[in-house]
Amino acid sequence: MRDPSELDKPKKKPARAARPARKAGVPAGDALQVEAFLRAFAAGEHGAARLDVASFADPMLRGIAEAANAAADHAVEQLDTSRQRVQVVTAGVDEAIEAMIRLVIQGDLSGTMRLGVSDAALTPLIAGIGQVMETLKRFVTEIREAALQLSTSSAEVLAAATQNESSTSAQASAIHETTATMEELKGASHQIAENAQMVAAIAEQTLTGAKQGEGAIKSFMSSMEKVRHNAVEVDDAIAKLSKRVERIGTVVEVIDEIADRSDLLALNAALEGAKAGEAGRGFSIVAAEMRRLAENVLESTKEIKNLITEIREATHAAKEASDGNKRMAAEGEQLGGNAMTSVSGILSGIQETSDAARVIHLATQQQRTATEQVVQSMSEIEEVTRQAQTGSKQATGAASELTKLAERLAELVKRFKVE
Amino acid sequence: MTEPTSEILLFQVGARVFAAVVHDAVRIGAVRDVSEDDLVLESALGAPFGRERGIVVASHEGATERTLVVDQVVGVRSVPEADVQPLPAFAAACLVSGAVTGLVMLDEAPLLLVDLPTLVRERSLAAPELTA
Repeated sequence: MRDPSELDKPKKKPARAARPARKAGVPAGDALQVEAFLRAFAAGEHGAARLDVASFADPMLRGIAEAANAAADHAVEQLDTSRQRVQVVTAGVDEAIEAMIRLVIQGDLSGTMRLGVSDAALTPLIAGIGQVMETLKRFVTEIREAALQLSTSSAEVLAAATQNESSTSAQASAIHETTATMEELKGASHQIAENAQMVAAIAEQTLTGAKQGEGAIKSFMSSMEKVRHNAVEVDDAIAKLSKRVERIGTVVEVIDEIADRSDLLALNAALEGAKAGEAGRGFSIVAAEMRRLAENVLESTKEIKNLITEIREATHAAKEASDGNKRMAAEGEQLGGNAMTSVSGILSGIQETSDAARVIHLATQQQRTATEQVVQSMSEIEEVTRQAQTGSKQATGAASELTKLAERLAELVKRFKVE
Repeated sequence: MTEPTSEILLFQVGARVFAAVVHDAVRIGAVRDVSEDDLVLESALGAPFGRERGIVVASHEGATERTLVVDQVVGVRSVPEADVQPLPAFAAACLVSGAVTGLVMLDEAPLLLVDLPTLVRERSLAAPELTA
């Protein structure tokens, strides 16, 4: 604002050189006096002495001098009036500024500004300041509400960030454990894949061995069939032999009976010869010889009987052995059949096992690859999670700082009283 | 000059061999051909182990024949009469059976000489008592 004192100072214009009177007949001194007066007034010398009208000889100049005096007086009067208004307005502006500063310092926006001075020129200022105050009040109110919301939101953000940090930490821990577990699983998958490959190889070897065993069992069953066939032939031969031996035994029995009767006849002949005395001596000798022959036959038949008995026993033993062979061969065939059935089942099972082992081997390879990919992904996830954890910590710190700032802002806004 | 001889029938009952005069035996037969009632299974000589041979003996009257079951008929032998000795009186007194009549020395071994009809008769007489 311009200094009111400046109003008292009219703009200085370069003083013109005194011009000579334009008309002859006009006293030059009076005109110069008027000119000097006007120039001095224009130069701001308002308090200078007025023109002495009475001293003017020329009536026209006198009138001009009177008009100049009147104009000067009026100008001074107007100037005083203006100076007073400037002072009033300046005081009002100062008061308004002071009031605003006081309101701002005290933060009390609840009241209405009242000035000790009143001037129409201050009305727009007061109205503007009032609008500024209202706007400021509205701003403060909005800022307070926003600060409150910001505080609440920042607290929620802090809580959420803290929760997020905690969750992220737990997630990072879980992911770390999962990664470690997946690492172990990777090793286990590798081991399983190797074992599955080994199982597949063993199953293949077992399959080959089982096929060889199947061939051996077939050979065994063929041999058993031959043994049984031979045993049947031996049995038939033994049966024929037994019948012939029985036939021989029958013949020997007849011979034995004949020999016994011969012995008996010889005995009776000897007896009769002895009864006849000397006459029967030759007869007795023949009878004795017959008896010796009969006894020889009996001895021979006895030996034959013994031999037949031995043959019977041997035949019986051979028959039992043959029956045993047949039975064992039949049992062998049955066992071979059972073994064949079992081996067929085993072969089928081994084939299935081999197929399953191959499938398992393939699956475990895929599993190993998948596990390695999962481990890789888990490592990446762990890295991302670690970054997220760092970000969460930073977010938590920022949220905490934001909460403090919100609280600080709320505290600051509280200083402004709007109601 | 030849020494007079006696014809002796040798038979075995159990483990012992006995001697009898050939005229006491009618014939030698098979036990299986004789009915059970005509057999003499056990006598004063003892019981035979088997039932293969039988000596057919006629009674003193010659009316009946019985078959004495023996284990074996060894045969007929001619022995000097000097080797056939009667049983001493004190020995005969000691024996219950009267069928043993003497001793026969055969191959320097003494054999009891048995009277087969007496033996069969004693058995026939003793049989009812045994039965009773």
